[in-house]
Parts: sequence; C-alpha cells; structure tokens
Amino acid sequence: MFFALVFLLWTGMAWSSEEKLTFPTGPIDDFETFVKTYDSKRCMECHEDIYNEWKESYHSRSMVSSIKGIANFFTVGVPKEWEKELNKQEIIKCLDCHLPQIKFATERLAKEIAGYMIDAKLAKGAKKEKAIAKLKQLNLSCYGCHNVKIAGTAPGITGHIDPNVIYTGGEGESDVHETEHAPILKRAAFCTQCHGVYIAPDGESTYCNTLSGSYVHNYIGQGGRETCQDCHMKKKNRGHRMPGGHDLEIVKEGLEFQAEARGFRYGVGKWIPAANVEVFLTNKAGHRTPDG
Amino acid sequence: MVLEVTAKDLGTGKVLYKDERTYFEIGLDLDGYMRYGAWQIKEILDMTLQPLKTQHERFFFLMDKNTKAAEVTVNVYYYISGKKGSLIHQKKFLMNFEEE
Repeated sequence: MFFALVFLLWTGMAWSSEEKLTFPTGPIDDFETFVKTYDSKRCMECHEDIYNEWKESYHSRSMVSSIKGIANFFTVGVPKEWEKELNKQEIIKCLDCHLPQIKFATERLAKEIAGYMIDAKLAKGAKKEKAIAKLKQLNLSCYGCHNVKIAGTAPGITGHIDPNVIYTGGEGESDVHETEHAPILKRAAFCTQCHGVYIAPDGESTYCNTLSGSYVHNYIGQGGRETCQDCHMKKKNRGHRMPGGHDLEIVKEGLEFQAEARGFRYGVGKWIPAANVEVFLTNKAGHRTPDG
Repeated sequence: MVLEVTAKDLGTGKVLYKDERTYFEIGLDLDGYMRYGAWQIKEILDMTLQPLKTQHERFFFLMDKNTKAAEVTVNVYYYISGKKGSLIHQKKFLMNFEEE
C-alpha cells in the first residue's frame, strides 16, 4: 500500500504538465512503470504533430514488427547455438536498437520482456495475445533517440548522457524539460548505429541489416552527399514518419526505371519473331537496394 | 527485387517467353552456409542494386514462328517480406510481326 502511494505520488509529479519532465536515474523493475516512464505520449502534449508522425513509423512498432527474428534469437541463437543463458547482456543485443530504454530495466524486467517476445511467437491463444499486447506498448520511443542513443556513436565527444536532458537536433529551449543541442541527430552516423551491422559491447556482430556499410562505402564513396535524414525525414516533409523499405512511395522514388524494346524478324530469308528488351535500373537511394 | 520480362501472344494469351533477374543479398555464416538468423550471419554476398549505379539488363529472345503479334511486359517487383511482391514499375510494348 505504501509503495503504491509512493508510486502514485511520483507518477503524478512526473506526468503533470506543470512539472518538469523528469526520468528516473536508476533501473526500473516494474513493467507498467517502465512503459509509462518512456511512453512517447509524455511528449505528445507539446509535440503532437511529431508524435502523430512517429506513430505512423516503424519505430513505433519496433518490437511487434520483429517478433519472429528476435524470438528466434532468444530461443535458438542464445540457448541452443551459443549455449548461453538468456540474460540482459544477450537480450540487449536485439533490444539496444528495438527498445533502447531497456538500458534502464532491471535484469528481471529485461527477462520478463524477453519472455513476452518468446510467448508472442510460440504461445497460443490468450497467452500469445497478452504477450503481443504487452509488446505493443514497447517501442523505439522519443526518449530512445533523443536521450539513450545520443552517446551511441561518439561517446568521447558527447560524454555523459543525463537521463533528464532531452537532446535535440534544433537549438530551441523548453520550459518543460532540460534541452541540449545534439548535432549528431542530424548526421547519418546517428542512424547507422542501428541501421547497419550491430556490434555488441562483447564484440558479437548482428546482421539485421547492412545499410550503413553500403551508405559509407558505395554512396559517399562515389560522391553521394545526402544523409539518411535528408531523404527519410526532410524530403516531402516526411518528418518522424521516416518511411523506408515498407513504404512503396519511397521505394519507387529510389529506383529509376527505363525500358526500351524492339520486335523484329530474326533470320535472313526464313525468319521467326524475335524481340530485344533493354532495361535500365538506376538506384537513386543512398544505399544498396534492397536491404533490411 | 525482381525484374521480369514476359512476352505473350496477343491473340491466344499464351506465354511465349519469360525471364527474370533477381537482386538480393545472401547472409553467410563463417563456414559459408546460407543463414537467415541475424546472429548467425557474419558475411554477405551482395547481389543488390548499388547506389548511384545503373544496372543494365539485356534480353533477347525468339518466339513461336506463328506469332502474329505479341505483348511484352517489363515488370519490377519489390519484395518487403519475401512472399508477395509489389509491382513498382511497369512498361508494356506491342509488337506486330504480320507481313503486309
């Protein structure tokens, strides 16, 4: 009862629009508290347009859209092939990108979340539905990019990340939260920490997708100069919807198509119908196509 | 991504020719076995379309000698999940082989 009262008082403080937006500095052990703490809805009150864009994005579905692959890692990769215990150190190899705030989950909560991922794939009926409902509440939230992942590529420069600071690409200020300008948010290097080969702290590599190597070596190396953000956010005001391979409009935009054909009579004297077709496919994207 | 060229007899609808090119990457483990698990893949074979490059594909084919007219269709399909492709580009050509 006492703890429930303390929780209610704490959440009341943290969610009141008149109070500063704050985040706990220590690990969270309770699923509901974890969800509420990092829920993007906390940002919606002031940033409704951005929230609505993000809601359409795959970032908002980063857990439920990847159940099969992640559950396979948790049930086959770690325990059977690597013969290791499924602990937070292994869980984070997927969730560092799919749920960056996992950093603030206790070992027990990380295992609980991994359990939902496994149940979402393997369980039946109500148990499966419950697991999927839980996972729908977890995602790459505002806080994931605007705090947790800020130091992901250049910790020597960005230094210590303050859990109570919201890092932004712009230079505006806010009365509701501490704000700090983070130029990394405007650079491709920020996106490549997840949209490329992921290297875990223990050195293990995970090939979920390989976009970044292609971007750096084949696009930049040949004179390409646009960033991920230029095409996936700035163009056509795509914003935080950040469409990618799941969006046919941007897929079409990235592939120029030209076809030429000529029918003719093949053979001298006696002939048979013949055709020559020439097709030109130009990849205008800043990375290989297709890719994960 | 699949580029598909199909020629059909305009009169009968019979497929006279069909060919395709596929652009994809294959994940390999350290022993050279094809793998799907992200944790298993340590290298890739890259057979995708490269950025800022134009892939030129040439098709030359003969059709049934009795063909009077054919419709040649060039389709480009994009596969997001590996199952059902979405048509993203298409161009059709009509070819008449009747002698005047």
